[in-house]
Amino acid sequence: MSTLPQDRREHILTLALPVLLGVAVLGVWQVVTQAFSISPVLLPAPSDIVSSFDDIAGTLARNAWVTGSEALVAFFLSAILGVVAALVLTSSAVVFQAFYPHVVMFQIIPKIALAPLFVFWLGFDSPSRLSYSIFISFFPVALATMTGLNRADANALRLSRALTASRWQILFQVQVPYALPYFFSGLKIAATMSVIGIVVGEFISSKRGLGHYILYSQSHSETAHIFAAMVVLCIVGLIPYGIAIGGERLARKWWRG
Amino acid sequence: MRPGDGLGPKAAGAMAAIWRRIALFQRVLLPLAVAVVFILIWEYGTKLAKVSPLLFAPPSAVWKSLELSFPILVQQSLPTLKETLLGFALASLLGVTLGTALVLSKRVRQALYPHILLFQLIPKVALAPLFIVWLGIGPTSRLSFAVFMAFFPVVIATMTGLLSADRNIVRLCTSLTATPWQTFMSVRVPYAMPHLFAGLKIAVTMAIIGVIVGEFVTAQEGLGYIIMFASSADDTALVFAAIGMLCAVGLTLYGAVALVEMLIQRRLGVTITSSEF
Amino acid sequence: MATNIAVENVRKVYQTGKDEVEAVSNVSFTAEEGEFVAILGPSGCGKSTLLMMCAGLETITSGRIIMDGQPVTEPRAHVGIMFQDSTLLPWKTVMENILFPVKVQKRPMAEHKERARELIHMVGLSGFEEKKPHQLSGGMRQRVAICRALVTDPDILLMDEPFSALDAMTRDEMNDALLDIWDRYRKTGLFVTHSIREAVYLADRVLVMTRRPATVVEDLRIPFGRPRDRSIGEKAEFNEICAYLRNLIEKREDSPRRQARAA
Repeated sequence: MSTLPQDRREHILTLALPVLLGVAVLGVWQVVTQAFSISPVLLPAPSDIVSSFDDIAGTLARNAWVTGSEALVAFFLSAILGVVAALVLTSSAVVFQAFYPHVVMFQIIPKIALAPLFVFWLGFDSPSRLSYSIFISFFPVALATMTGLNRADANALRLSRALTASRWQILFQVQVPYALPYFFSGLKIAATMSVIGIVVGEFISSKRGLGHYILYSQSHSETAHIFAAMVVLCIVGLIPYGIAIGGERLARKWWRG
Repeated sequence: MRPGDGLGPKAAGAMAAIWRRIALFQRVLLPLAVAVVFILIWEYGTKLAKVSPLLFAPPSAVWKSLELSFPILVQQSLPTLKETLLGFALASLLGVTLGTALVLSKRVRQALYPHILLFQLIPKVALAPLFIVWLGIGPTSRLSFAVFMAFFPVVIATMTGLLSADRNIVRLCTSLTATPWQTFMSVRVPYAMPHLFAGLKIAVTMAIIGVIVGEFVTAQEGLGYIIMFASSADDTALVFAAIGMLCAVGLTLYGAVALVEMLIQRRLGVTITSSEF
Repeated sequence: MATNIAVENVRKVYQTGKDEVEAVSNVSFTAEEGEFVAILGPSGCGKSTLLMMCAGLETITSGRIIMDGQPVTEPRAHVGIMFQDSTLLPWKTVMENILFPVKVQKRPMAEHKERARELIHMVGLSGFEEKKPHQLSGGMRQRVAICRALVTDPDILLMDEPFSALDAMTRDEMNDALLDIWDRYRKTGLFVTHSIREAVYLADRVLVMTRRPATVVEDLRIPFGRPRDRSIGEKAEFNEICAYLRNLIEKREDSPRRQARAA
């Protein structure tokens, strides 16, 4: 690593500038809300938000646990189901051709609108939210993995054929490793979608969870609580994403040695 | 291994021609066949298993509901379509502007980009109630929320795209004493197209999500509202009909973006491939 | 000596849309056990297609190829193969890449590990067993590919321009490495190349192919014995043979040089 003064300065700026901007925005926000006596219902000051953390710490923690655990379960299940589906659908060229356009189409359509349907089928609680979240997170993983399995290096496939490898050997020993980068990009999308799924599910069918709490706070004009809950939700939401990134790092290490 | 092995050359040629024809149809017929089989299973499976048509309406019931409620569905799809289209357009405009600005100034980019990335990663859906606090229950809050959801992917895509131009070509432009504007328009912009359109496709999806979630939360009008309403009224036929309508809207918008992308690719004369998801 | 490879009136036609392209037009030759046969020709003369048919990776439109007494219809386990691209699996180490055929063909791992180590030592890659492909140069990667092609002790080696993508100096090194291997393990080999010097340097026989029609026009026996003297490249006889082959190819082709001379 170079230690030239210009490079050192660049490194520091890359870290410092965004932090400074964030601090500046918070500062302006605080000053403006106080100077113009803006109603805390419309725009609470950062200080209000921080103090509300104290007030509702227990509530936030409880709801965070509900939302977070459901999002994680949905995330893992959608990842596993997505990979299994991708493997099954790529096992034969005919099957792939038959189902790939449908998977693409399901990925594009606004599946978000199906939340009420899941509630209708599975009732006003966890199973409906979980299945809904798995449903919308499953397709990115399946689609990405299918694409990746299909994009294995043509020379490697030709070599495997020359060595008389069987269909399954080629799938698991050659196509799967080449599909890993694609799988992880799908997994990252699933990480955000699984959280979105649980939150939207909570909007329309729950008495617990951070999504529900935000809606509840809005109807009770507790805007500071909305912000506080949002901060906690961000942290919770970053957990599946962090897992996806961690997994990707491990895979890259295995690849590069 | 393939047909034609061991035959005389003429017969082998004819067989190969037939095989290619089949292969072409296969790409279209196979997915179609799967869809048809699925619909048949849906229709007769629900009847055989004596599933209540209210719980899981068969395609025939959905079609009937579609015919019956067509005027209402069309009427309710208008606000959804309008808000999505407008939201997407605004988000794209603002997103491209900010994305370009980020490319022009390194300091601004260093300061602002991490925040934009952060906003892209967090579950922005949860902020729908906040927009209601600010803008009340109505099309304005839904529209602004849709813009909010769709804006960030466009910024990131524009910026990444403009910065993706081949370094060597940019260097070539500089050595040919091209002005920054010329370099920008003739090199950076074409290279940015695939990234931009990948971002726009995501933005269309996000705009729809924003509008639908907004409709869930405001419970006023629109296809999302109909879906919620029909679910609570135990009318799955109407739910499916409304979902079908919404899918048509979603696919049309996505298809429009894909079409523009294809036209621009043709214009530029290169096959630049963008990601599929 | 048993005939290992017999190519009989082989023809390959590709259908692209409405057009027919004849990639290989009536080729016949045999390769005896232990012979190194070079297939030499300009690009587009069908030499790679011919090799792919021997490998069972392309179908034969008419005619047949007999290897070890059996007609070729699909790839075979007892054939070693090398492509222009070293095609190493990027996530596997050198050792794992070499043992890939062993794994795929479910052969006993232990004895082949021993053999792999021998081969690694022979090509001068000792110490690199645990490296990954991205840590190796192009020449080193092809050396790994050679080891991989030989690890199952095949009788036949098919090589499709394996050194064409390397720089000139590395290519010369690799030619010598291949000669070392031929001194040590006498295999039957088909080696496709577009380099006249490389063909004459390595082979016992050179088959010259031209395009339009894509067929063998000459079957030349190379008089240098084995083990081959590494300095034959400087001998007059070597250069005469190369000149003869060059003339042969140019006469059949309308090369720019020929046209310039005629003008």
